[in-house]
Amino acid sequence: MKTISKLTIGLAVAAILFIGCNDSAVPAKEVQKPTPTISEESLGLRKTDLYSEKGTTAEKTNYSSSYAGSGNKFKRAFQDAPPMIPHDTDGMLPITINDNQCIGCHMPDVAEGVGATPIPSSHFLDMRPHHQFDGKTFSKAVDNMKNETSIKSTGDKLAGARFNCSQCHAPQSSGQLVKNNFEADFTDKDGASKSSWKGSKLMEGLDTINQK
Amino acid sequence: MSLSRREFLKSSAAASAAAAIGMTIPSEVQAQADDVENSWRWDKAACRFCGTGCGIMMATKNGKIVAVKGDPAAPVNRGLNCIKGYFNAKIMYGADRLTQPLLRVDANGNFDKQGKFAPISWERAFDEMELNIKKALKASGPEGVGVFASGQYTVMEGYAAQKMMKGGFRSNAIDPNARHCMASAVVGFYQTFGIDEPSGCYDDIELTDTIVSWGSNMAEMHPILWSRVTDRKLSDPDRVKVINMSTYRHRTSDLADIEIIFSPNTDLALWNYIAREIVYNNPESIDWDFVKKHIVFAASPVNLGYGLRKEGEKSLTPVNPDGSAGNYTALEMEIINKEMKKVVSAKEAPALKPYGYKEGDVMVNKDAGLAHWEISFDEYKKFLEPYTLDYVATISKGNPDEDINEFKKKLQTLADLYIEKGRKVVSFWTMGMNQHTRGTWVNTLSYNVHFLLNKQAIPGSGAFSLTGQPSACGTAREVGTFCHRLPADMMVANPKHREITENRWKVPAGTLNHIGNQHIMKIHRDIEDGVIKFAWVNVCNPYQDTASASHWIKAAREMDNFIVTSDGYPGISAKVSDLILPSAMIYEKWGAYGNAERRTQLWRQQVLPVGDAMSDTWQWVELSKRFTVKDVWGAQPLRGKDANGKPNSLPSVIDQAKAMGYTEDTTMYEILFANKEAKSYKIDLNSFPQQGYDNSECNGDSRNVVGSDGKVFKGYGFMIHEYLFEEYASFGRGHGHDLAPFTTYHKVRGLKWPVVDGKETQWRFNSKYDPYAAKETKESGNSHAFYGTLAKALPYGDLMGVKKAEKTGLANKAKIFARPYMDPPEMPDERYPVWLSTGRVLEHWHSGTMTMRVPELYRAVPEALCYMHPEDAKTYDVKQGELCWVESRRGKVKARVETRGRNRPSRGLVFVPWFDEKVFINKVCLDATCPQSKQTDFKKCAVKIYKA
Repeated sequence: MKTISKLTIGLAVAAILFIGCNDSAVPAKEVQKPTPTISEESLGLRKTDLYSEKGTTAEKTNYSSSYAGSGNKFKRAFQDAPPMIPHDTDGMLPITINDNQCIGCHMPDVAEGVGATPIPSSHFLDMRPHHQFDGKTFSKAVDNMKNETSIKSTGDKLAGARFNCSQCHAPQSSGQLVKNNFEADFTDKDGASKSSWKGSKLMEGLDTINQK
Repeated sequence: MSLSRREFLKSSAAASAAAAIGMTIPSEVQAQADDVENSWRWDKAACRFCGTGCGIMMATKNGKIVAVKGDPAAPVNRGLNCIKGYFNAKIMYGADRLTQPLLRVDANGNFDKQGKFAPISWERAFDEMELNIKKALKASGPEGVGVFASGQYTVMEGYAAQKMMKGGFRSNAIDPNARHCMASAVVGFYQTFGIDEPSGCYDDIELTDTIVSWGSNMAEMHPILWSRVTDRKLSDPDRVKVINMSTYRHRTSDLADIEIIFSPNTDLALWNYIAREIVYNNPESIDWDFVKKHIVFAASPVNLGYGLRKEGEKSLTPVNPDGSAGNYTALEMEIINKEMKKVVSAKEAPALKPYGYKEGDVMVNKDAGLAHWEISFDEYKKFLEPYTLDYVATISKGNPDEDINEFKKKLQTLADLYIEKGRKVVSFWTMGMNQHTRGTWVNTLSYNVHFLLNKQAIPGSGAFSLTGQPSACGTAREVGTFCHRLPADMMVANPKHREITENRWKVPAGTLNHIGNQHIMKIHRDIEDGVIKFAWVNVCNPYQDTASASHWIKAAREMDNFIVTSDGYPGISAKVSDLILPSAMIYEKWGAYGNAERRTQLWRQQVLPVGDAMSDTWQWVELSKRFTVKDVWGAQPLRGKDANGKPNSLPSVIDQAKAMGYTEDTTMYEILFANKEAKSYKIDLNSFPQQGYDNSECNGDSRNVVGSDGKVFKGYGFMIHEYLFEEYASFGRGHGHDLAPFTTYHKVRGLKWPVVDGKETQWRFNSKYDPYAAKETKESGNSHAFYGTLAKALPYGDLMGVKKAEKTGLANKAKIFARPYMDPPEMPDERYPVWLSTGRVLEHWHSGTMTMRVPELYRAVPEALCYMHPEDAKTYDVKQGELCWVESRRGKVKARVETRGRNRPSRGLVFVPWFDEKVFINKVCLDATCPQSKQTDFKKCAVKIYKA
């Protein structure tokens, strides 16, 4: 377990200390006499009168209209973050038990040929231990007091738990309400565009039993 | 091939991992990747969002979060998260995080309710809180101080808040947003089992043959559980059946074998239809041996109203000739008046016939409380008689375009699947059954069916209430941060429970307030009535999330009161407050959550909070320093009169406090938080789990935040998180709620309580799996013991009422309730012809304060849409993608029309999610509640739709 020096943390926080409300700089320490400078309307996501709905409308959704396979891709949010959908999904959803159109292009064996992001190897693993119950006796397949894992390959079949693509991957409208100061730290040189998922990465850092 | 963690560690990490999953990785690429990640620190944590309670692995570097990955060792989610789960990485980094306390002031820097906000110090913030709490106590007694609490509090935060409110201020006006989310499930558990929380666990998903989702869009609201359901379905598509019961089509239908679209509120009739099929048409399917040993039948009054405001309340007076009353318009009163009396409709008349009502009768509503009594099986059978397939199909068909015979076939198939011998069945539900003006009733009805068939509390079968929030179970329910509760299922109304709590908290006998009725709607109403003068919002957003919202935001701004909101970001509650406090967010503090399957999960502080933000625990503990014995423990008035007609009150306990060694000037901090026991929990930075991790409350931190006394906060000097957790846990150990030690939870991925002899419990009440049940059935040899102790002695009667007042004990038994179909108070009519249902979407959490600030989540769903049927869009002359007004008797909002989206209602119903501040849909919703659970029905009200 690596520790981070307090100094480093202090510096990192100092850098964000001056980010105030309303995106404008608010002094970090109280001024002698508090001065009323921040209006109710300036706070939060709704900058209009809260007590009437006349002048308030939602941000309009504006998803990409580029067709699947046109080559557009969104940068990943961080190393191995689920990629967002860069193409129009009209007619591709919903995903049903007999019709998962995402698979058609994104399975690894076809993805490259059609310019789609291939489903990574993490999606071809069954990570769920299968407990047994024969109608009389229940027995656990792993010992969770030891944080045991059970990871099996599903071969070339997409793991059942990963069938609902839209639970992690979503189309993206344009625009942004509020700046977000998260900074990704890509450990792979093309981590912003590719899954770098590998076996040991999955297991890295999991051990909380043997920590002292 | 499976590999235990220990075996894994024995071998060379990279190679064995690759081998274990059948992959080959070029060694040079592997080495390179690992080098870079060596500067990352991975640790386990719990997801911030829904009640599923997934584990996540979180990476930090230089004091900031840099990545999140699924945790293969986490039993709930095994290496997978949903979109919100992954983006936990970004939720704390929105640029408009609150970094300093903000107070409304005038030009001279004095508090001014009409003023703009100014940054102030923590010291000034606590000065203002102290002053205004003292004013409120003087004006209204303990009932004048209220807290909007949360199912998203950590266990420690909720426990600290509860201790200071109930033990310090002697106020029970603390109630969580979880009241809006699962109070009906709780009363269902109490009435059925005598104890809160589910019998089953998520492992039922892999063991069952049938998953029936009732009023729950699991695909969006519990995505990881849905991924488990999907995996199960795909593993055996012919055997495994998935049925979606809903008032509109949504993503959960997409994988279902059968979709049943029913008319809002008729789930009551559908459950009774299945029970009738069992009792009348398949009596051989009843497991009489089980039923006779474990079950009694029960009934309760039906004329109990809808939890709306009542005649004579201050804000409903005077009643005016035009029909308006006090602060409420004549239109609003059309519905509110049904709280007092209503006319029995043609739709509900057959169901109410066994109770002596017929169509057109006036039903006079009365406060019935939680009263119920035992009845015979024959009486229960008489109650079920009306729920024939014809009657139920006629009133419950929710899609006007569906053929009635097709619909009937589906209902018959549904009943057959439940009844089929040897078929395991799990019923899941969430807000559809909980946010319901008969929410308690419909929750109890679910167990009826499972009990009759002996398909409850066994592996692979059972009715299971899914929870909405990450610690609605852990903090709101188990800690007891409700107005009527104390830790571990104890009640403020029970003198023995108060005594146990007073002893444990080392506060004088008689300190605790015995009247706990200020539930979350009552807190809003008490603010509007001018009774509550001080309210504090903790980890929730009550001014966005409460129905009839216009009343509450107006009361906050215009009444003589002082509203405080602690939050990470400025949401609507912050905007309408007088004081805003910057709170540390989830991974900026140590914490614990408890999920829907009784799993308790702990995490460590991963990073320092931004700005001067501090945790809610710290805020409560600092506030406690401002109040002494003489400030809060003198005699106090309460509203109302006791059974003898004397005004309610609380006695002075100052003399007893002195006898215990306290003085008049001892602070609540010294008594409740920094006592001798607390100080026995040591800071130990050289051992697990504290080693290497920040702990802002205990040790202070490098920010040198200037604290509540104007000096740099250097920490409490003892391990307050462990103290609060262990003291809370001590209430439940030995009482069916056993938790493992604090340190154990930092090693393992959560455990399902009761944890007895180091082992978690899979199926409660089942003597094979639950040591408490095993103990109770040692002599009888019964398969189950429903050992909860609440309401376990009942008088006897029939459907109409009690006939024999003498109570009979029913130790270890559960109850099957007779509870009829009834209409909700507001239904579509000529003026407001459309049902409105509200809820969440996958990509946003609740009011969106966190998720709308994550670019990927915001862009995924930037606005709340009004989902409707294309034919309805034509009827109301509105168009796809264009704005419409959604208007009820209470208010209106604008939203864009969506006729082709993920939610596809039938004609006559629209769905609008509530995450969007700009589509303030709770202005439109009705604040009717289940009169027993006090949970609001956000799923049903009547609206009209027109072009904006």
